[in-house]
Amino acid sequence: MELKICHMYPDVLNLYGDRGNMICLRRRLEWRGIGCEIKRLPIGETASLADYDMVFIGGGQDFEQQVLLEDLHRGKDAEIRAAVEDGKTFLTICGGYQMLGNYYETHDGVRCDFIGAVDLYTVGSDTRMIGNYKYRCLPESGGSVVVGFENHSGKTYLGRGVSPLGQVLSGFGNNGEDKTEGARYKNVFGTYSHGPLLPKNPELCDYIIKTALTRKYGSAELAPLSDGAEELAHETMADKL
Amino acid sequence: MLPPVNVYGKKVLNVSSDTINIPVFFRTFNIKMTINVSHILPDANIWSDVACPLQTRPSYVKITNYAERKSAGPEPGIFEVAMSISVFFACLLCRLLRGAARLLHRGGTAMPGRFALKLCPGLLRVLARNVQTVAITGTNGKTTSARMVEEAFNEAGLDYFANRSGANLISGITTEFVLNSTLTGKPRKKYAVIECDEAAARRVFGELRPKVAVVTNLFRDQLDRYGEVTHTLENIREGLKKTPDTVLCLNADCSLTSSLSLDLPNRCVFYGIDGTAAKSRTKPEISDATHCIRCKTEYEYEYVTYGHLGGFYCPKCGYARHRADVAVTDIVEHTADRSTAVMDVHGVRKVVTVNLPAVYNIYNAAGALTAAVEMGVPADTAAAALGAFKCGFGRMEKFDLGAGGARMMLIKNPAGCNQVLDFLREISDSFTLAVCLNDRSADGTDISWIWDADFEKLRDMDRRVKKVIVSGDRAADMLVRMKYAGVPEEKLSMETDYEKLLDELARRQEPVFIMPTYTAMLELREHLIKRCGGAEFWE
Repeated sequence: MELKICHMYPDVLNLYGDRGNMICLRRRLEWRGIGCEIKRLPIGETASLADYDMVFIGGGQDFEQQVLLEDLHRGKDAEIRAAVEDGKTFLTICGGYQMLGNYYETHDGVRCDFIGAVDLYTVGSDTRMIGNYKYRCLPESGGSVVVGFENHSGKTYLGRGVSPLGQVLSGFGNNGEDKTEGARYKNVFGTYSHGPLLPKNPELCDYIIKTALTRKYGSAELAPLSDGAEELAHETMADKL
Repeated sequence: MLPPVNVYGKKVLNVSSDTINIPVFFRTFNIKMTINVSHILPDANIWSDVACPLQTRPSYVKITNYAERKSAGPEPGIFEVAMSISVFFACLLCRLLRGAARLLHRGGTAMPGRFALKLCPGLLRVLARNVQTVAITGTNGKTTSARMVEEAFNEAGLDYFANRSGANLISGITTEFVLNSTLTGKPRKKYAVIECDEAAARRVFGELRPKVAVVTNLFRDQLDRYGEVTHTLENIREGLKKTPDTVLCLNADCSLTSSLSLDLPNRCVFYGIDGTAAKSRTKPEISDATHCIRCKTEYEYEYVTYGHLGGFYCPKCGYARHRADVAVTDIVEHTADRSTAVMDVHGVRKVVTVNLPAVYNIYNAAGALTAAVEMGVPADTAAAALGAFKCGFGRMEKFDLGAGGARMMLIKNPAGCNQVLDFLREISDSFTLAVCLNDRSADGTDISWIWDADFEKLRDMDRRVKKVIVSGDRAADMLVRMKYAGVPEEKLSMETDYEKLLDELARRQEPVFIMPTYTAMLELREHLIKRCGGAEFWE
């Protein structure tokens, strides 16, 4: 078995230890004898997403956003929409998560068109939602408790047909209002959680791996790993919140 | 209606054609000034426009910088008296609080200044006015660079003071100035070496008006506190805007830092490492500045020293590395204890030994040398100081622990941490590593940066890594990081009790390297000093 992962925009969307998610996926696949190929796809380069099983998009600075959107609107956006509808597994975090949505509206009303692959939108606010937080994934996304660190001023709202990834137990989540966190649409996992997400939440990591393998091979059983350190890190933070 | 103005940092209640009402000590003084208020700019800060040293010429205050520069001499007297009273009581309060803090065995480095500033918001400006200051800001290397400048001042016999304790916000800087002034606000020393937090720079620089300012570099750092690195750059730019006479010493190799020269009127002196002394020609994998600060086109590089530092240029708009006035042209020796570099100092070739290892300290040395020369220290004197220099306070600080000794190397952000790892890769010794990760506000509450730091480098030195011990409030997160970095399980352990940790480190036969975050460094140092001796942090 093998998973081919496309890491989009590692050159600019790399703000909050997102590399850690790639390191984590690679290692957890390797430890189980499953092949893992990670393709870095920086701005300006092209690749056919149809060749990959999973796409990862992280979060970044505002400074490069314009360059990034120009690159997306040169055709990558259509390809991403097609891959999402095709059931490819996506893991998108913070800025990458917002970008999958329809648009971002700044608090003074300027609208910026995003990819439109998932029916959600984000509105800028004056307050920063920042800090360690915790949420429980819905059963359809594995049901595990996730700990992470959020740092965003955009408030995200989900459209019909898109369910949240989880319910906030502590912290802000999508918008600090409705207790929802992240989004789940087909095989897209979107969340505000960096920290980074996967190393400290091995259950969710394995659930995402399983989703991608099932899509590719029809079914997948993952051998258990000894997750002592991961669980300790998870519990230490979960207990504080 | 007249525009609001601030006088001496206080909000003026109202301004009529010839009087200004200013609140001082619960009373409102009516200060008669013969200024034409129509020339007051909106939000003008009269305090910043008083261009005359209070103490030396108390009878005359010149007011300039109005729309038409119609200066007028207000009547002497109550204006200065009010300010002098305010300065006196603020200084007194500051000293009392400091004394009390010391009685309680606290550092008392920032708190007294904070209260003094509440009493007299313009205090720092008054105290800094007659002191020739070199201010150092930037993400990494502030403390080390400041110490190097100090060493050069010592060598040159200059009478100076410094905020050595790491209290580098406006409060801590104010405390230091109060302690080095008389109660009436006269300076006791002619020079100051001031390290300034990059987020505080916005406010501090205008008050301090340093003669020379060094900006070391800019990297992503404590995103929860500073935000994006471009915001930090903006903070520094805003601060420097208020002090156009300051000479700027800028790191030519950092595209963010050197962009300060683009729109500030200040005289700029550049320092950096030339391509002849750099090893790598490839673009950095992790960079905090990939796209041109001016036109957002991706940078190209002639060479890279580390992170995003090097011979950058923008293929579109032409923004490129500025030629360095103080340039490292060759690095001739590189050991675990020191480096020797050839530097071109304003056209004169000098061989400089830096009594600290690692490339980033060569940058610190070049920056300190540049600043010292601008402050009037002869280049040879400054260079000699770098060879005798001993750093402390967690920056490559040596402790007499165990058979092989210990070095403490503070880590704060990915760029700095990668530099420390590069240093470990270049030495030849076997070693034990202790990594202590805290997530208190001074460390940054977001610890995701440990995944941007390239701990995978440890795999390249696997044979020399004897043991890795993780510690600190977030030890478990570090444990996970080390596990995924590929540190073998049998070499990896966790110990959150510092005494036990030091017991274990003291038993090691090989040299020990401790990599703590800021607050972990403070705590560990206390424990280490009890065991091995050394100075308290404020000394």
